[in-house]
Amino acid sequence: MTAVAVRLVCLHAASRRLPAAVALLALCAAGLRGTLYGHWDDYGALQLPLIFEAACAAIIAVTAGSPFGEPERATGRWLPYLRLGTAVTLTGLASGALAAAGTGMPLAGGFPDILRNVAGLTGIGLLCATVLGGPLAWTGPLAYLVLAVYGLYTDWHPPALSTPWIWPARPPHDVGGALCAAVVFAAGLAAITLRGARERPGGDGPG
Amino acid sequence: MNVEISDLTRRFGRHQAVAGVSLQAGPGVFGLLGPNGAGKTTLLRMMATVIPPTTGHLRLLGRDPGAYGPRREVRRRLGYLPQNLGYYPGFTVAEFVEYFALLKEMPAARVPAAVATAVERVDLGSRAKAKLRTLSGGMLRRVGIAQAIVNEPELLLLDEPTAGLDPEQRVNFRVLLRDLGQRATVIVSTHLVEDVGTACSQVALMDQGRIVFYGTPAELTARGTEQSTGDAPLERGYTAVLAAARA
Amino acid sequence: MTAASAPAAPRPAVARRGAGSAVLGSGRLLRLELRHNAMLWLLPVAFALFWYNGYREIMALPPMWNLRAMTLQNRLLLDLVIPVTGAAAWMGSREGRRGITDLVAGTARPRWSRQLATWAATTAWAEVGCLACVAVVYVMTARQVSWGGPLWWPAAVSAAGVPALTAIGFAAGAWFPGRFVTPLVTVVVFFGLAFGTQAASGDHSYWQISPLTAGAFDIGAAPGVASFYPYLPDLSIAQLMFTAGLTIAVLGALGISVARMRWLAALITVAGLAAAGTAVALAGTGRLDPHGMIVIPALHDAASDQPVRYTPACGHTPIPICVHPAYATFLPAVTSVVGPELTELAGLPGAPARISQVAEVYRQEPANGITILAGVRSGSTFILPDRVPGQPGVNSAQFASQVGLTLGLGLARDVILGGNGQATAQSPSQAELAVIAGSVGFTPRADDPAAQSLFDGRLLPVPGSPAALAGRRFAALPAAAKHAWLMQHLAALQAGRISLAQLP
Repeated sequence: MTAVAVRLVCLHAASRRLPAAVALLALCAAGLRGTLYGHWDDYGALQLPLIFEAACAAIIAVTAGSPFGEPERATGRWLPYLRLGTAVTLTGLASGALAAAGTGMPLAGGFPDILRNVAGLTGIGLLCATVLGGPLAWTGPLAYLVLAVYGLYTDWHPPALSTPWIWPARPPHDVGGALCAAVVFAAGLAAITLRGARERPGGDGPG
Repeated sequence: MNVEISDLTRRFGRHQAVAGVSLQAGPGVFGLLGPNGAGKTTLLRMMATVIPPTTGHLRLLGRDPGAYGPRREVRRRLGYLPQNLGYYPGFTVAEFVEYFALLKEMPAARVPAAVATAVERVDLGSRAKAKLRTLSGGMLRRVGIAQAIVNEPELLLLDEPTAGLDPEQRVNFRVLLRDLGQRATVIVSTHLVEDVGTACSQVALMDQGRIVFYGTPAELTARGTEQSTGDAPLERGYTAVLAAARA
Repeated sequence: MTAASAPAAPRPAVARRGAGSAVLGSGRLLRLELRHNAMLWLLPVAFALFWYNGYREIMALPPMWNLRAMTLQNRLLLDLVIPVTGAAAWMGSREGRRGITDLVAGTARPRWSRQLATWAATTAWAEVGCLACVAVVYVMTARQVSWGGPLWWPAAVSAAGVPALTAIGFAAGAWFPGRFVTPLVTVVVFFGLAFGTQAASGDHSYWQISPLTAGAFDIGAAPGVASFYPYLPDLSIAQLMFTAGLTIAVLGALGISVARMRWLAALITVAGLAAAGTAVALAGTGRLDPHGMIVIPALHDAASDQPVRYTPACGHTPIPICVHPAYATFLPAVTSVVGPELTELAGLPGAPARISQVAEVYRQEPANGITILAGVRSGSTFILPDRVPGQPGVNSAQFASQVGLTLGLGLARDVILGGNGQATAQSPSQAELAVIAGSVGFTPRADDPAAQSLFDGRLLPVPGSPAALAGRRFAALPAAAKHAWLMQHLAALQAGRISLAQLP
């Protein structure tokens, strides 16, 4: 039974291109590490990690898309667990990889910041996957990235965008921001677990 | 002759999909039979100028498609329906056919009429403005046929064209094939022997990248024996030829 | 399917294809692509991002063309880059995603031509979005400004940046139609655009070629730039050349894989790279001119160095304050700060008949430092603070404090000490310091170290000193009383014959 479960997980992971996704998450972490060697001003120091966090979230969201369509839905009870496990595992991997990349480097915000931002952005991506489909799930996290970068900018140039719904602009230990990110992440997980990514007739999205 | 093939091969890595095929075809309907993995689709893709042959000689419509200019001329006179038809779900039926008419560099002024004709010929005139995402699988197949015939091709290559069509539509499709075959060379790749039997004047049977039979459907039927498997005479001939080729 | 019901059309004349037919065919293809382009449904996302970020920031700025247009250039592409590049990458990967590669490969139209049609449609919609954002900002600004006309160069650079973004996205999607490519290329382009200027240093940095850089990187959008002197297009021209070259190079690279057109495509790519490289090299030759703009010698037109003619906007104070009409919005704030002082000093010996704003002089310092000076220092001229209310981090109180520090203090010292704006050799007496402090009427704010540093006993009395106390008594007098006393005692004060005890 355990061997079967492992086999099922491996096949599910392969169908979602998880090996490629994990490799890309590692690449993002390496990219963050490389850029942290540079000398950035105050703007860059806070906004830079956010870009890599958003990239990770977009990658995780895109993996939610299924290549099989309806036949996969008309199966047993394991699919929701597989979806949930995939999303949580990748989010954890991304957070861990980025935190590891920042070890010993001047990474603004630290692990709490990374975890909050990656989780929240991933939640947005998973919600987009449910609505728009896996291949278009990147639109949410990356559009939010633009808002968040501007939010960080207003920390230096008031009036600051102080809403906790733009949690990257809040301090790392801010409870409101963490709560909002957690709520969005939970909502995304619930949506992707129960409904999965949207499938469109004829494939994925417009164009 | 519209199609002249001599010792054509195609290799994908270590796998030889087409292992030396020679045939000639003029106007008419030409069937290409064979089991899965026989090399039919690969042969058709080479004739569609989508992939080049590894070795051998290929002349289409009197031209060598290896050179850019002649290849472009061939493509203007070519119609191709692949086995797996992709499509843009947001396009309407008419837009999709128009798109391919334009890609085939049809004279622009003739495109609207040609599109309307092609759509009517596949019995989708009433659905011309329907989005492709709203169509059934069989209708999508007919859209694929429409784009293949929109430019009144001199060489028409159809890979599993009747997949998903209902029996009535299959009958109509065979009538269309015979009509098209009066002016053009139509090559139909299929493993539905009844399609070949009723519509084709010549048939080739492929197995493991080679042609193991070339002749008329009647000659193929004659190769069948009492011991051959199959529900119809043509099927029995088909299985007999395959068995002999593999023996 | 019926062969008899629909009579077969006569075979199209495939051979008879003229240039007109080709153009018509391309036009029809473009129309199809325009109708079904992903950029169309991402436009609302683009508008939403621009409204939330750039538009609100720009419209919060004072109504000055230079501030808003240059800030627009700083912000617009950054807000649009995600939807524009993402849509382009999505469209570029369309054939791979839809499994339609074989089908279109067997058609006559060259792949390059087919791809350019899709790219052109994507870019057209993206430009519609970009120009709509520009139009909204410019129309709203036109209704509010007090002087001048639109600056078109910043808008042109932003608009020229859009094809470069779509070209990069489209090419990445076309070459690598995988599910991860669209988000990755979008993030990479965003990173390059947002952080491309972080390495900029000084006025001759190659990084200022970024289309987000309006004017001198170290100055940015400042009210003093392109007010008294025209907006120099040198850097904008280089940026246009760069984005156009980049666009051409990427689009040319798309055609290299098409056998027949390989050499033409390679030539186009090389030409594009050469243009972009030349632009970067030109940016490296830039230098900051005294008017706050970047001059690139190879592109510079000397006619642009002539000052802009204008009719100043003047207040109705006893000594009229005249400002450049672009600053007319701030004239009431200026006169309210120095009004009492003007009443006090008007008509005194050495008091100017009128005080006019002059242009700042900008000077590049090592690394990213900028010094802002008054060009010609005299008692009848002044420069306004380089940051005005409405700009991020500047409020009315801070502006008033700056005006008091510069105009107010300068005027008081000129009249009380004499010298017509030139530094006097002798240190002022305690009585003079007290009168100056009482005339400017401001006290140091705890959050203004620059103001506090003036109270050093040379420019203004040290806080808590007898001179400071005397200054407070003098400040408490009505302006008319101060004027009357100075009319009687200014000469004696300047001669050093007035002591602190003799001050009212």
